[in-house]
Amino acid sequence: MTATSRRRRTRVAPAYAALKPRRVEAGLVLMVGVVIVVAYALASFGASASIPANLGPFLVWMLALLLIAHLATRRLAPGADPVMLPMALLLNGLGYVMIARLSNDVPGGSDLAGLQSTWTAVGIAAYIGTLVVVPRVRILANYRYLLGIAGMALLALPLVPTFGRQINGARIWASVGPINFQPGEFAKIALAAFFAAYLVESRELLRSRLELRDLAPIGVAWAGSLAVMVLERDLGSSLLFFTLFVVVLWVASERAMFLGIGAVLFAGGAVLAWSMFTHVQQRVDIWRDPFASPKGDGFQIVEASFALADGGLTGTGLGQGEPDRIPFVETDFIFAAIGEELGLAGSTAILMAFLVLIGSGLRVALRADRPFEKLFTVGLTTLLGVQAFIIMGGVLRVVPLTGITLPFVSYGGSSLVANYILLALLMRMSHEQRLEPVPAQS
Amino acid sequence: MNVRIRRLGVALGVLYLLLFAQLNRVQFFGAERLQDNVNNSRGLVREFGRERGRMITADGVIVARSVEVGEPVDFVREYPEGELYAHISGYQSLNVASTGLEREFNDELAGSPIDQQFQTFADVFRDRDTTATLRLTLRHDVQEAARSALGDRNGSVVALDPRTGAIIAMWTWPSFDPNLIADPDGAAANDSYETLLADPDDPLLAKAFREVFFPGSTFKLVTASAGVESGVIGAFDPVFDVTDSYDPIPSGSPISNFAGSSCGGDLIEILRASCNTAFAEMGAEWIGPEQMVTAAEAFGFNHTPPIDLPNAAGSRFPTDFGAYLADVEFYRGAEDDPVEGDPGEGDEGEVDGGITLANGTVPVHENTARLAQASIGQNDVAATPLQMALVAAAIANEGLIMAPHVVGSQTAADGSVYDTTNPEVWRAAMSRGTAQVLHSAMINVAVNGTARNLAVPGLTVGGKTGTAQLGTDPPNSHAWIVGFAGPPGQPAEIAVAVIVEAQEGASEQTGGRVAAPIGRAVIEAYFSIN
Repeated sequence: MTATSRRRRTRVAPAYAALKPRRVEAGLVLMVGVVIVVAYALASFGASASIPANLGPFLVWMLALLLIAHLATRRLAPGADPVMLPMALLLNGLGYVMIARLSNDVPGGSDLAGLQSTWTAVGIAAYIGTLVVVPRVRILANYRYLLGIAGMALLALPLVPTFGRQINGARIWASVGPINFQPGEFAKIALAAFFAAYLVESRELLRSRLELRDLAPIGVAWAGSLAVMVLERDLGSSLLFFTLFVVVLWVASERAMFLGIGAVLFAGGAVLAWSMFTHVQQRVDIWRDPFASPKGDGFQIVEASFALADGGLTGTGLGQGEPDRIPFVETDFIFAAIGEELGLAGSTAILMAFLVLIGSGLRVALRADRPFEKLFTVGLTTLLGVQAFIIMGGVLRVVPLTGITLPFVSYGGSSLVANYILLALLMRMSHEQRLEPVPAQS
Repeated sequence: MNVRIRRLGVALGVLYLLLFAQLNRVQFFGAERLQDNVNNSRGLVREFGRERGRMITADGVIVARSVEVGEPVDFVREYPEGELYAHISGYQSLNVASTGLEREFNDELAGSPIDQQFQTFADVFRDRDTTATLRLTLRHDVQEAARSALGDRNGSVVALDPRTGAIIAMWTWPSFDPNLIADPDGAAANDSYETLLADPDDPLLAKAFREVFFPGSTFKLVTASAGVESGVIGAFDPVFDVTDSYDPIPSGSPISNFAGSSCGGDLIEILRASCNTAFAEMGAEWIGPEQMVTAAEAFGFNHTPPIDLPNAAGSRFPTDFGAYLADVEFYRGAEDDPVEGDPGEGDEGEVDGGITLANGTVPVHENTARLAQASIGQNDVAATPLQMALVAAAIANEGLIMAPHVVGSQTAADGSVYDTTNPEVWRAAMSRGTAQVLHSAMINVAVNGTARNLAVPGLTVGGKTGTAQLGTDPPNSHAWIVGFAGPPGQPAEIAVAVIVEAQEGASEQTGGRVAAPIGRAVIEAYFSIN
C-alpha cells in the first residue's frame, strides 16, 4: 500500500469508519431494532389500545433476525459499508410493522404478517447465503452468458403456459410446485450482472467509434423491454429494465449520446404503448387527472392522496389511520400507508433511507477498482433507486402509476428475497473495496 | 467512469428531491384542499364510525344519542324528542354541516380531547369510552310547558336561573325535527333540509338567541336603570307630567301613549303604566345619549352573549345621534320664549324661566328624537329574546348578568365528571341599589300594572310587558313579557322572556294579554304548580 493510496482512502471515508465499520453497524442495527419494536407496539396500541400479546416473541424474533444479519456480516464481509444493512433493515422493519398493522384491516389479510416475517427470515438467509456463495463479485463475470440467459429465461417464465400465472392484469407470476414467485425480481439482478460484464468487454469499442451496429445492443434491450410490457403487461418492470441498461451503457461508454438515444427510444416506446394499449392510456389519464373518475379508475390514486393529506406533518399515528381504504395498500401503495400514519416525517424518512442506500451504493461504485464491479454496482444501485422512485412517484402522481413493489418495504416474498440478494452483492463489493488496495484513479 | 457515476448520483438526487417536493405539496401545503375535496369521505367515516356522547336534560330525558345503522355509516344520531330541543342540540348529519351543541361540543361528544382520553395514567393502557355526555341545564317539564303554552303561534320563550345563567327552557316555534336531517339516507335528508330552508318562517333558525326583534316597552327597564344609575331619577322623584304626547327636541314626530291615553308620575308609576311619553322624555332629556349607551351596553347590548351555542346574535342599541347642538336647558328654556330661542344664535344668558331639570347639562344632538324613540324600545333598538331574559335576570340578581349556558356538566360513561360549567359573571348591568329599585318596580307592575297576568299566587313575581308595534294597517305587534319569580323573601330562581311575534292588535295590553300567560305557565311548571 503506497502512501498516496492511504491518503486517498482517508479522504473518502473517516478513518474510524474504515477501521471499525462493524462497530458502527452494530450501533445502527441496535437503533433500528428499537425503532421497529417501538413502532410495532405503538401500531398495536393505536389500533386496539392494548399492548400486543405477542410483543415478547416478536421482540425476540425481530432482534434475533437483526442480530443474525449483523453477525453474519461481521464474519463474511467485515469491511463493508456500515450503513447499508441498517437502512435495509429499517425499511424492512417499518414495512413489516405496517403490514402487520394492515393485516387486521385488509380483507383476507390475516396471514400477511406471518408470511412477511417468514419472507424476512428467508430474505436474511438469502443475504447470508449470497455472501457465502459469492466470495468475490468478479467471479460472476465468468458466468455472464449463463446469467444473461438465466435473466431472459426468468423474465420469460411467466409466459410459459404451465408455469405462468396472470394476477391482477399483469402476467408476472410463475408457479413452481407450491411456490408462487415473481421471477422478474430475480431477473433484474442477473441482467444487471450480464449488462455489466457485456459492456466491460465492449466499452472500449463503444468509446472509440460509433457505427450503426454498435446501436444493436441498446435496440435489443429496447425490444426486450417492449416485449415485457406487451406480453406481460408490466409497465414498471419494463421501464426499470430499460433504464438499467441505458444507465449502465452511458456510464460504461461515457457517451452522453446514449442517454439521448435512450430517451428517444423511450419516448417512441411510450407513444407506441400509449397508442396501442387502452390500459396504458388509462394509466396516463389517471395520472393527468385522477379526480375525473374519483370512484372509478382514479380511486386508488385519489384515496392515496387523501391518505397522505390526512397524515399531514406528523401522521395520524400508527394504527390510527385508515390506509385499508386504498386497494393494494400492502404492496404497491404501502408508501401511502406510511405517509398517512407517520406523516410527512415518516414518508421523508423512507425517502432518506433510500437516498442513503443510493449514496452508499454509488460510493462503492466510485471506489471500485475494476470496470465490472463498477458497472455492476452502478446497475444494482440504479435498480434499487429507480424502482423505489417509480413506485413512490406513481403513488405521489409524479409519474404515471406502474405497479411495482417498494424495495424492502412492500409485502411480497420475491421482492424481499431478491432485494436482500442485491444488498448482499453490494455489501460484498463494498467489503472488497475496503480490503484491497485502491489503485490509481482510472 | 467516476464522473458519470457522480452525475448519476446527482440525477437520482434530483428525482428524489422531486418526490420530496411533491410529498410536501400533498401532505402539507395542499392537504387541506384534499381533505375538503367532495370525494373525500374519510372525515365523515371517522366521525360516524363510532358512538358519540349523549345529551340529557337536567331531569334525565335523552335529547340526543347515537344509534347503530351499519349502512352507509356505522352510527347516526337520533333525537328522541324531535322538534323540542332541535335549536339546542342542533343536528349531526352526513349531508349538512352540524349545528347547535353537536357542533359546539363536537370534540367532547366524539371523545377526542386529550384530557378526556387520559383521565388517569392507567388510561394509556386501556380502551375506554372517552365520549362526554352533555348534561343540559334545561328541564324537560319546563321546556314542554313553554311549547304547549306558545302553541302554534310564532315566538320564543327563554327561561333561565338569574343566579347562575343556567338556561332552564329555550323554545322557538316554528321548530323542526332534526331526525329528518340526520337521516342516513342522503337524498331524503337533503330534501328535508331544502324544504326547511325554503320555509319563509325559517324553522331552522333558533330565534330565541339568533334573531333580534324590537323589544318595545320591555326596554323601558334598561332606560329606567340608566336613569337611576345616572343619579337623576329616583323611585319617587322626579315626577313626570301627565300628558298624552311628547315632542322630541330639537325636532321629530310626537311620541304618544297607546290609544292616546295620558300618563305620568314617578318611576314606579310610569313603569306600572308603561308610559311612553315619560320614558321618551327621560331618555332624551334627563339621561342623554352617553349614559343611555353605557347602560344599554352594560346590559349586553352591542355585544354577543357568551352562550355555549354557536352563532348567537348580539342585540343592538344605537350609538350615533348626530352632531351636538346645545344642552337641554337651551331648548326647554327657549320653549317658553320662542323669539329668543332660535338654535344657533342662542344666548345662554337669556335661557331661563323654563322647567328646571336636575340634570341640566344633558346634551341635545341632531337626532335626539331617535334617542327618545330608542328609550321606549323603538327605532334601531333590537334585542334577542335571550337578551331580554338577561335584562330581567340582571334585575333579579342584584345587577349582575351571569353568562348564559345550556350545558351544566360533561360526564364520562362511568359517571365521573370531565367538566363542570361554573357560573361566571358576564356583565355588571347596574349597581345593587339600582337593581333593588327596579326589582320593587317590576313587582309592582305584576301586582298592579300591565303584567298582572304573569303573577302566580304564593310567589314573588315581577314583570314588564312590551308591545312592539310593527304596523297599523292592520294593527299588529310583537307581544313581550319579561319577568322573574321566586319564593317570597328569597332571591328569584327563574327569569323569563317571552315574545309572540306579529300579533293582531297594538295596545299596551297586548303584551300582558298574549305573552304574560305563557311566562306564567313556564314559571308554574318550574315551581311544579298545578
